[in-house]
Amino acid sequence: MSRVNDSNNFLSIGKSLPRKEDRRLLTGQGRYLDDIQVAGELHACFVRSPYQHALILAIDTEAAEAAPEVVAVVTGKDLAEWTTTHRMAPPIDGLLPIEMTALPADKVRFHGDPVACIVATDRYLAEDASELVEVDYEPLDPVCDMFKAMEDGAPLIEKDMGTNLISHQTFETGNILHVMESAGRVVESTFSTPRQTPLPIETRGCIAEWDEGTQHLTVHVGNQAPHPYRSALAGRLKLKETQVTVIVPDVGGGFGQKIALYREELTIAALARHLKRPVRWREDRMENLLAASHAREDFVRTRAAVDANGRITGLTLELVEDFGAYCFFPANYLARVVAVILTGPYDIGEYAFDVKVVLTNKCGNGPMRAPMAITSWVMEGTIDNIARELGLDPVQVRRLNMVADDAYPHVMATGETMEDINPGAALERGLEAIGYADFRRRQEADREHGIYRGLGICSVVESTTYGSKFYKAAGIPGSGHECAWVKVDPSGTIRASAGVMATGQGYETSFSQAVAEGLGVNPQDVDIKLGNTDIAPYGMGSRGARGGTAGGGTLYLAATGVREKALAIAAKLLGLNTAYQLTMRDGRVCRLIDDDIQETDLTLADIARTAYLDPTRLPDGMEPGLEVTRAYDPPPMTYSNSCHFCEVVVDVPTGAVEISRYVVVENCGNVLNPQIVEGQQLGAIVMGLSGSLFEQVVYDESGYNQTGLLADYLVATASDMPNIEILSVATPNRRTPIGLKGMAEGGVMGSIGAISNAVSDALSPFGAVVENHPISPSRLRLMLREKT
Amino acid sequence: MKPAPFTYHDAQSLEEALALLAEHGDEAKLIAGGQSLVAMMNLRLAQPGHLIDINGIAGLDGIERDGESLLIGALACHADIAGSDLVREACPILADAAGHIGQYAIRQRGTIGGSLSHADPAAEWPLMAILMDAKIEIAQPSGDRRTVEGADFIQSIYTTDLGPDEVLTRVRFPCVERDEGWAFKSFARRRGDYFIVAVGATLALDGAGRVSRLRLALGGMEVTAIRLVEIEQEAIGNTPDGDWIEHIAAAARGAGEPADDQHADAEYRRELACVLVTDALAEALNRSGRG
Repeated sequence: MSRVNDSNNFLSIGKSLPRKEDRRLLTGQGRYLDDIQVAGELHACFVRSPYQHALILAIDTEAAEAAPEVVAVVTGKDLAEWTTTHRMAPPIDGLLPIEMTALPADKVRFHGDPVACIVATDRYLAEDASELVEVDYEPLDPVCDMFKAMEDGAPLIEKDMGTNLISHQTFETGNILHVMESAGRVVESTFSTPRQTPLPIETRGCIAEWDEGTQHLTVHVGNQAPHPYRSALAGRLKLKETQVTVIVPDVGGGFGQKIALYREELTIAALARHLKRPVRWREDRMENLLAASHAREDFVRTRAAVDANGRITGLTLELVEDFGAYCFFPANYLARVVAVILTGPYDIGEYAFDVKVVLTNKCGNGPMRAPMAITSWVMEGTIDNIARELGLDPVQVRRLNMVADDAYPHVMATGETMEDINPGAALERGLEAIGYADFRRRQEADREHGIYRGLGICSVVESTTYGSKFYKAAGIPGSGHECAWVKVDPSGTIRASAGVMATGQGYETSFSQAVAEGLGVNPQDVDIKLGNTDIAPYGMGSRGARGGTAGGGTLYLAATGVREKALAIAAKLLGLNTAYQLTMRDGRVCRLIDDDIQETDLTLADIARTAYLDPTRLPDGMEPGLEVTRAYDPPPMTYSNSCHFCEVVVDVPTGAVEISRYVVVENCGNVLNPQIVEGQQLGAIVMGLSGSLFEQVVYDESGYNQTGLLADYLVATASDMPNIEILSVATPNRRTPIGLKGMAEGGVMGSIGAISNAVSDALSPFGAVVENHPISPSRLRLMLREKT
Repeated sequence: MKPAPFTYHDAQSLEEALALLAEHGDEAKLIAGGQSLVAMMNLRLAQPGHLIDINGIAGLDGIERDGESLLIGALACHADIAGSDLVREACPILADAAGHIGQYAIRQRGTIGGSLSHADPAAEWPLMAILMDAKIEIAQPSGDRRTVEGADFIQSIYTTDLGPDEVLTRVRFPCVERDEGWAFKSFARRRGDYFIVAVGATLALDGAGRVSRLRLALGGMEVTAIRLVEIEQEAIGNTPDGDWIEHIAAAARGAGEPADDQHADAEYRRELACVLVTDALAEALNRSGRG
């Protein structure tokens, strides 16, 4: 297998081939949901609750039904007849079960909760009619603060649950209590991220078509995991899974918001079936901001027991997450990962965590690129606080506590095994690039002139490509395996598919490289077919930075299977006893003679023609045809690592933060397409910076969402972002195909920590530490006013 | 996010626009660049039954000089004003302020007349109108024209002196004097956002280097931009130096009664006012004859 992981031997992967999909996407020829026209389609819009918590006493739809061109007005009562209730009750210790209907019939639970759906021949008319729906609400006391939600007597989101604390999980190593009690010094740190939203440029939406003749439902929807989505949809509509096809067209971004089956989409599918007409719904931006899954909103406290040198002898974590009112995912799912991987590259043997997840009257949470985004800030911010309290250099404290690169595999206190990573090398490479000693001199000199410069360092160990063993251990339903097929047609053209689905990541290009590498052809000759559940094999979809390793890795394995068969046929056609000395290069069979590679006259097309149309010439007992389907279950967790360095200047009079330099050192293993990986790295870093500096869903004290417009929910624009320098200390993973690792989320984790630590470093003369996001100018000024 | 039903009218002349306004009264709304109105209609915060498009009216987008005045037609877009050599020469602070409005695409569509009529408290044009004692020219249903002072035109948040049957046609700004310094300074969360606080200043000095005229206005401190008239008057005859700037900035800090919102509390607005006035006066002084 030496050939496999040695990047020097790759012919197709590791090359920055231009993205195949860009020809259509950049010339306006992409086909997104709104580009798909279905004859006779109807348009839907939803009536949403203006209350954050209220009983639904009655809904009068009569006037809306009588409005021009209105075809139907339905409520939760109608949907209850056509759909099942979703019960989220995985066997997870500390997690309470919760149920959810298609549309609420009893009460609304947040500002923006859908209560009725209007279907008309035109979206404008549907919205006109929506103003005529009269809902009789009886307002209830809302609870919009996660700490208040845990108090006795707090209003309950789910009355039957008897509490808002939907999940409470704890862990401790044997000696942690003793270590904390006997510690010479305990450094306490807190970290808060506000509620954010993934904000894909294309909002949610779908078109549902019911074929009455074949009793078949086809749903066009932007989604990251088409097959699990199909399973959920069929189940909730009481259809056989063979009665449902999910087709995912080009998608304008997902970031975790397009995984679950949402109530609106279920409603549209049920309506298409009920009305026997195609129904389209396109979420508008305000709905997306108010009612598509939110993310984050964590409060974290760490307590680190340290000796006088800054060596961490024990660490405890308390985490409270506000999950909102609805659970599209198990409520512990996101917060638990933070707790499990917190210690990252540091050798901390004694550890304990306490993780609470709380329901409130807000939009339900879901994953958002780096569900465990806060992890690295918490760990690295804790380290910086240790350094500040002890008067030590933060780099020295990192070096002192880090697991040596040659000591991997390393088992964390939580039992997770990290392997094939090099956080030490990444740290040192970055320090050299940034010129650490010189930076400290500049920082000191500039302070004399009122220029407050800061450097934030953030080491990231990113958990990626969760295998089925991880899911099983965490009690989460589902699997981490992936499935792919590669087919060579009789004419020799190559098509391949997998269950993952791109939402802008360039899979058609990087996957064609994986297939080309495995098969021995030119990537240009491989067509990747994704996103149609009737064509693609059942897979687990794109999430958790698994596209490259699970998707690309499985495709590579399937392609090597096709190559083996093709070469076996070639040996027979060439009159050889064995294919041992044969290989495929650019679609042509070659012979390996000593160190020389000699082309034969035989091509993949010749072999394919034989396999399909002249099977009597195949080796004895071989099946006709030339296609292979493979499933692959990655290791429980595949780790990649990176180290982020952010240099800022804080303008103390205004609180404005300027990022003057950003360097990241990455180890994401062998890569399929460096240009695409770089795009992922830049995108992830920018997403973290934007979240840290700007983004915040704001609910006022009564639970009214004040950020329903992009004028209010701020997101970074290109001109707000720095140039980002990317360096590499890549080493392959030795257990995945082609040495791949996931990498799409670490940039978010790292930039959140780096920018926060940088601002704290800049403001250290004032004793101010960033503990909350966003790091807005007014918040910094408030902090500085309190300190001076 | 679709607007309520409305009837669209494509007015080809001022007379036609005025006649349509007269006919439809409160039900009608003029549209020029639509950069604020369309968003409000899509949110159904504005539901005009009749939308009168004035983009087709010839001659309403001119920029010209009339002696010591600069005349800017209501349909002149922000980008045209920002890029106008005439504006840069006659009243450069206007070009600078116009260049700070929104993003490139917004500046191509949004107009000075629309911005003034909308009267967003955090927009550049109302601040400039108040700072520069602009004269707002208005066509009345009778066909007669009337002129209103900038400070009288902008009455409150989203509220102006413009009647429902009137059309804002032109804005008259005074040209800055030779050697008169100026500066526009604003602070926003992101480039192109509505400002949290903004400052406009002009500074003219006499032969002895003393202040002969100071104009100073702040946006973001109240529901409308405010002119710091007392500070302006006290400044006359002062020698502008670092201490003087510090003194004025400290006085500006106490101006108005700012409110708290999501992006800034009142105290932060005061701090910004102080910083921005300092920067603006230093820059205006630098640009003045003495600088």
